[in-house]
Amino acid sequence: MDRETGREQGRAPASSELLRLVFESAKDYAIFSLDPEGRVTSWNPGAERLLGYAAREIKGHSADVIFVPEERAAGAAEEERRRALSDGRAEDERWQQRKDGSRFWASGLMMPLADRRLGFVKILRDRTDQHRAEEQLREAEQRFRLLATNVPQLVFLARADGSRTWPSPQWIDFTGMSAEASAGFGWLEAVHPDDRAHTLAAWETARAAGEYQAEHRVRRGSDGSYRWHQTRARPIAGSSHHAVLFGDQVDWVGTMTDVHDLRTLHDRQQVLMAELQHRTRNLLAITQAIATQTLRKSASLKDFQLEFENRLRALSRVQMLMSSVDYKDIDLGELLGGELRAHDGNSLEGGRVHFDGPSVALPAAAAQALGLALHELATNAAKHGALSQADGRLDVTWRLEDDDEGRTIVLDWRESCVAMPRLDGTRRYGYGTELIERALPYQLGAKTRLAFKPDGVHCHISVGLGPKVSKA
Amino acid sequence: MSDPDKRRVLVVEDEVLMAMLLEDMLCDLGYEVVAHSGELDQAVQLAQTAAFDFALLDINLNGQQSFPVADAVRARGLPVVFATGYGSRILVPPYLDTPLLQKPFSLEELRRTLVTAGV
Repeated sequence: MDRETGREQGRAPASSELLRLVFESAKDYAIFSLDPEGRVTSWNPGAERLLGYAAREIKGHSADVIFVPEERAAGAAEEERRRALSDGRAEDERWQQRKDGSRFWASGLMMPLADRRLGFVKILRDRTDQHRAEEQLREAEQRFRLLATNVPQLVFLARADGSRTWPSPQWIDFTGMSAEASAGFGWLEAVHPDDRAHTLAAWETARAAGEYQAEHRVRRGSDGSYRWHQTRARPIAGSSHHAVLFGDQVDWVGTMTDVHDLRTLHDRQQVLMAELQHRTRNLLAITQAIATQTLRKSASLKDFQLEFENRLRALSRVQMLMSSVDYKDIDLGELLGGELRAHDGNSLEGGRVHFDGPSVALPAAAAQALGLALHELATNAAKHGALSQADGRLDVTWRLEDDDEGRTIVLDWRESCVAMPRLDGTRRYGYGTELIERALPYQLGAKTRLAFKPDGVHCHISVGLGPKVSKA
Repeated sequence: MSDPDKRRVLVVEDEVLMAMLLEDMLCDLGYEVVAHSGELDQAVQLAQTAAFDFALLDINLNGQQSFPVADAVRARGLPVVFATGYGSRILVPPYLDTPLLQKPFSLEELRRTLVTAGV
């Protein structure tokens, strides 16, 4: 026997013997031969297993049945044989069909036999699982690209040290930097110079933390302006799976979100909060000042209570006026009208009180002091002066005077036909007098003159409004 | 004429009611207000020329900050105490450690702050 002879003499087995062994034992490979017209001439057990046909049932029949019908109709089998003949081999991957109609993804190789009259040999391997895995990866990548290129954020892929391997189109659009220019650490060019150090430093701690996070200004290519972005990145989970997708070097995926408007709003809110706190505290301080000063000049607690309440009301009227115009200019007529109405609405309608003057815009800071001073005058008038007596008259007039210094409001408070009480005005007028004679000159640079005439109080106030063209 | 036994204060405060209250409070505590102003330029000028031992400055003067006044006071080697309705974060170098009165404050708080400031 050949086999025994071979073993006894220590020679290699004949190549035909080797081929037979391979042919019989290659369970995972379908190996079969075809005549020049494609009819099966041999069929190994691997082919039986993979394709479902027994050797005896397919030998002598066309092997074209293993092609899926649509490819068979398109002449794929003939094409394969033609290529094998012309190129010496035909190699491809495609779906093939089993006897039961099920399909598998096959990696195939067809070669012509040395004696071309004998036809071809074909070897097929089932690669369905690998193919499915690759397709899933491809789909995953497509989904990632779709997401990464359609979210409003700037997306990137990076290595663990922060060097970038892929920028999304949004990054390129926003920064105007090409993918090539952004690669590695090129992207840092678009980060504000003052923010680069902490942007890079954050990468040093990111690996241990398992997350990268930084806020920095990123330059917009279209106008060169910097906008605040919040950047976050995380290592990609299951790196072996993704290594196929992105290459071994890519470990992190990150997004950069424009938080500029949010930050600006936050900053503005903080300014507003500080301003609110300031105004509240100042108002409390003023209330405290009024309380303290009223207390100092009150003969009794009852006096204090009445006067303090009235002054608080006056203060709140001015505050309401100020907030209604958003702490901008306040009309003098409105300020005065409000004050007089608060004391005696009837006299105003009964014709005993006149007030008249042009429209004048008072700066908010002036309005508060002037409002409180007018309150003191009106309070006195309601208690002891023109508003307290049936025959009393009150005329308040004001005008504007322009000279080289600028514009001045000149206001006259004139009570008449008043039977003046005993002149103990110093106590009663204490706080009001102080406001008019001390406070107005101090705060407004006003010139004031307060006189207790035999027929009533006269008060003259002139307040400079500064140059007509405001410095501010 | 000023009392030679009393410490003299420059008060810079744009809100007149506060200024009046401060003047009364300082008077109660035995100080003498020798000059006051609520306007930045005038306050700087007073800080340069007026005779006083220390300055009590409201930080916000009609929307401007009174630090130029503080600079002028410091330039003369005189101490400064600030008052503000804002929080302490409004202070900037070199005034971070300067005594700061938060409005509103009581007579006792004013006294304590001035004692701490050594004025």
